[in-house]
Amino acid sequence: MPFKNKPQTFSAAIKPVELGTGDKAITIGGENVLPLYSFDAPIENAPKVGVEISDTMLETAPARLKEFYAGCETMADMAKKAAELPGVSFICLHFESADPNGADTSADDCVAAAKAVSEAVDLPLVIMGCKNNEKDSELFNKVSDALQGKNILVLAAKEETYKAVGASAGLAFNQKVGAESSVDINLAKQLNVLMTQLGVKQDSIVMNVGNAAAGYGFEYVVSTMERVRLAALGQNDTTLQMPIMTPVAAETWGVKEAIASEADMPEWGDVEERGVDMEVVTATAVLAAGSDAVILRHPESIATVSKLISELM
Amino acid sequence: MAKFITIGERIHCISPSIREAMATRNPEPILKRAKEQLDAGATYLDVNIGPAENDGEELMKWAVTLLQSEFDNVPLCLDTANKKAIEAGISVYNRSKGKPIVNSADAGDRIENIDLAAANDAIVIALCSAHGIAADNDERMMHCQNMLERGMSLGMEETDLWFDPLFLVVKGMQDKQMEVLEAIKMFSEMGLNTTGGLSNNSNGMPKNIRPIMDSAMIAMAMMQGMTSAIVNPCDQRLMETIKSCDVLKNNVLYADSYLDL
Repeated sequence: MPFKNKPQTFSAAIKPVELGTGDKAITIGGENVLPLYSFDAPIENAPKVGVEISDTMLETAPARLKEFYAGCETMADMAKKAAELPGVSFICLHFESADPNGADTSADDCVAAAKAVSEAVDLPLVIMGCKNNEKDSELFNKVSDALQGKNILVLAAKEETYKAVGASAGLAFNQKVGAESSVDINLAKQLNVLMTQLGVKQDSIVMNVGNAAAGYGFEYVVSTMERVRLAALGQNDTTLQMPIMTPVAAETWGVKEAIASEADMPEWGDVEERGVDMEVVTATAVLAAGSDAVILRHPESIATVSKLISELM
Repeated sequence: MAKFITIGERIHCISPSIREAMATRNPEPILKRAKEQLDAGATYLDVNIGPAENDGEELMKWAVTLLQSEFDNVPLCLDTANKKAIEAGISVYNRSKGKPIVNSADAGDRIENIDLAAANDAIVIALCSAHGIAADNDERMMHCQNMLERGMSLGMEETDLWFDPLFLVVKGMQDKQMEVLEAIKMFSEMGLNTTGGLSNNSNGMPKNIRPIMDSAMIAMAMMQGMTSAIVNPCDQRLMETIKSCDVLKNNVLYADSYLDL
């Protein structure tokens, strides 16, 4: 029997969200088909790749990554370098050093670094904090204020912080707000509802539904993303029609496959290659499960994943 | 599965204030009732203008335009025995939020309303009765088959006929309730859509009892695969039950605020 192609398009669609300003502004979301199903209908906005620049990562970076950023003294220097990588659509500044239990860099110093980056590059900016709720709320508030008009995304508001972060970044300073849940599908929906009830517009919300490195409970990540997408498209659930951005690097570069030295694990081969592999494998899997954007660290991963996307579109 | 569809029943000319508003073309009471129902979560609104023998066409056009212009093209269920009035209403109807519903056809004198729906690419509520209430499910299924064949021979999608088994009043026909629910299951197993005037079942009961009875009935009907009902959306207990059943059936993803949505 001849094969008859029956496109599976939906009347519902993911709401497009714009990040950044000017020529380099990007739009994520907008599709009305399942992830990467460009054979069912054209995907309005191809998934985007962002580069993560953490303010602590060079301390532990593997050789080739360190070499890529050789000579860089500030996050702005690094951002300039990263912005030239082909396939990079946005810059994610990850202020890990702000953690009060770590270096405790002040929010003001982080904001100054973010401002310097925004003056050095014109790509859209995404800001990640240190996972300390109090500090992140302060940081997101101040950075949203300082970068008014730049249309940045703060990643992200959580169940404990959505009021403060939503009210400052989303309402007072008109930036985009991430809604972060950790692989909890009901909470993912609930956070969107709460932020919308707070008054944050639907097209100002991007979801981070959580992530894990491939092999570390990753099947829960996949089923969460898939269920979110099926509800958004198949059931026209407007509370879930926000695009998904997934910070991949922050998960994958901490697992043993990416850090165990060759001396400890000779049979595993080159440590940096393993790290890149973990990042690539996890990124491609979350793209296939529903992410509209991924945040990666290594130039080699960025090259591979952006090539994959462009060849599938 | 798709979310359960509620059709709000409160714009009905049996209500004195609505009847007067329709007679005098006074928008305010009609818009007020429409807003209450939509705020309470109704998907469709039923617009019952009664027999409307004299000015039905003009009245239905007025009502459709009024409601759709005020409420972002809210989908409507056009409810009258006057066929010309239904057609007139469809002629000004905006479909962006859903096809119009013709309320209603049966397997007897009103079977031509299926033709009307087919000619106008509308949904039709198909009552499984001809002359009086069906005696049993054999009769209901016979009517269902007749109407289904008629609609499909005229080019309708089978999902555009919404079969109504007719809810029966508990006070007097208590022994027939399970049969109605079984009919719903049979329609559902055939892949057909279903609807019906839910509150018939609690007719004549004290006011405080009716929401309880209606909620129990809708939960059992949804269990059988019912896809829609004509209801009073301002009945909070009923709407909460419908939303909860939608969650249990996995029609809607659960979130703690699900009752607010």
